[in-house]
Amino acid sequence: AAAEPWPENAALYQQLKDEQILLSDNASSLAVQAFLQMCNLPIRVVCRANAEYMSPSGKVPFIHVGNQVVSELGPIVQFVKAKGHSLSDGLDEVQKAEMKAYMELVNNMLLTAELYLQWCDDVTVEEITHPRYGSPYPWPLNRILSYQKQWEVRRKMKAIGWAGKTLPQVLEDVDQCCQALSQRLGTQPYFFNKQPTELDALVFGHLFTILTTQLITDELSEKVKNYSNLTAFCRRIEQQYFEGHDKDSSATSAARSAKRSLLR
Amino acid sequence: MAAPMELRCWGGDWGLPSLHPESLTVMAYAKFSGAPLIVSAINNSWRAPKEEVPVLISEDTVISQPAKILNFLRKQKYNADYELSAKQGADTLAYIALLEEKLLPALLHTFWVEAENYCSVTKPWFASKAAFPLSLYLPGKKSREALNRILLTRGGPPHYSLTEVEAQIYREAKECLNLLSKRLGTSQFFFGNTPTTLDAFVFGFLAPIYKVCFPRVQLQEHLRQLPNLCRFCDDILTCYFRLTVSGHFPAGQDTADANLQKLTQLVNKESNLIEKMDDNLRKSPQHPPRKLTTLKLAAGGEGSSPLNRLSP
Repeated sequence: AAAEPWPENAALYQQLKDEQILLSDNASSLAVQAFLQMCNLPIRVVCRANAEYMSPSGKVPFIHVGNQVVSELGPIVQFVKAKGHSLSDGLDEVQKAEMKAYMELVNNMLLTAELYLQWCDDVTVEEITHPRYGSPYPWPLNRILSYQKQWEVRRKMKAIGWAGKTLPQVLEDVDQCCQALSQRLGTQPYFFNKQPTELDALVFGHLFTILTTQLITDELSEKVKNYSNLTAFCRRIEQQYFEGHDKDSSATSAARSAKRSLLR
Repeated sequence: MAAPMELRCWGGDWGLPSLHPESLTVMAYAKFSGAPLIVSAINNSWRAPKEEVPVLISEDTVISQPAKILNFLRKQKYNADYELSAKQGADTLAYIALLEEKLLPALLHTFWVEAENYCSVTKPWFASKAAFPLSLYLPGKKSREALNRILLTRGGPPHYSLTEVEAQIYREAKECLNLLSKRLGTSQFFFGNTPTTLDAFVFGFLAPIYKVCFPRVQLQEHLRQLPNLCRFCDDILTCYFRLTVSGHFPAGQDTADANLQKLTQLVNKESNLIEKMDDNLRKSPQHPPRKLTTLKLAAGGEGSSPLNRLSP
């Protein structure tokens, strides 16, 4: 039974869409937006330069619902479930275990690869990440903030053993992950056949962002394009959940602006 | 047949071939796929910290991480995943990611960060395997690396203190164990009746939690409440690891148990022998008069006639 009703003014905060937001944050934000659309819960997207600092866990996106603030997809799914909406209730125990495992696969491989590409690949860092990350702030604050973030991310990469990897190895991992997702999806419309779940939202968020973001080279998106059922999956979800809604919260307009503005 | 390959890894104790999860994973995979592996445990050697254990040395190639070692073994035609479908292969990757994200932090914490465990069990054990003065430095380094990894991957806000992080990682680890238990169900291995890569990884992570005797054991207690996972570990240990006779791994409690068994059998044999001797003594011809007397008294007419016939 639903607890309190979902308020009208629920808001999702992320960084500035056109100038500031990076690949990994855009992916996470899109995943949450897709999830909420799938649950039929209206939300408006608010872009703020300091979204990362406003968030309770330091990560974007976060949602502001009523008088509660929740960040990141995992806690948001639980929060929404407590309000009485859930996409994975129809799954049995083994399927739920599988769903959680695949979500960890996406976080472990895809998200880490995106972070690596953004912050550890020197060319991308110089040309895309540094200019974008600190863009709302004046010099020298923009350089200080982005160097600080880079140092943090590189420390984390070193702790989990990714610092020694080269870019081809990381792309190989992305390929392996996409292959696993493609094999799991097969010819079904969603990962658990007829109904979308949070896994579909997460995968959509990451893959769609990778496909539509222009980076230095197209190697990353080429890896995803190799699997036609994954691109069809993204197109299907985009058409079903994002087109025909408000332009503000639609992924298509975000993608179009991302395409234009990430051209460096 | 390829020349035998050598695996250098941490040794074992408490009935396990190795205490190190990654070494255990590689050993289990080698057993499942039938790869001939010579296991040499690191013992009193200066080489320990320079290599990233486990290390596979095959002719001229040296390979270090578990995923790469397993790939190499597969290329050498030692493939335990031969019968898996594409979807099952994808599931394997997903579950391995689940183990690394949810279970590994708690495992590292139990071994290297929890003060009582570290000081009384882990540090002495690893220090005893490395030469002096490396033994003073190595456990501390591994402990710092483990804490670093936990804090960097799990320790951001809203967890501001180590106790909150600990509570979170143990909660996630217990949930992960529950998920594994549900996935395993009642079958012998994760994909039917033959063990695969996923079984090797799960065994590598679970067996140290299950077997090593720590003072602070909340994860072990939780694991013991999931009987199918315990049975899974025990099955692999008995079927795939007790059959090696050449002593590739240091004797743990196994030989002690075996000796005790032999002793018990010997004692039993002795006591059987003594009982037999007792019986023989009782049945021996030292007491014939008593027996004949009883016969006479019991059956007077019948007993007396043969005696009468015998006496001249």
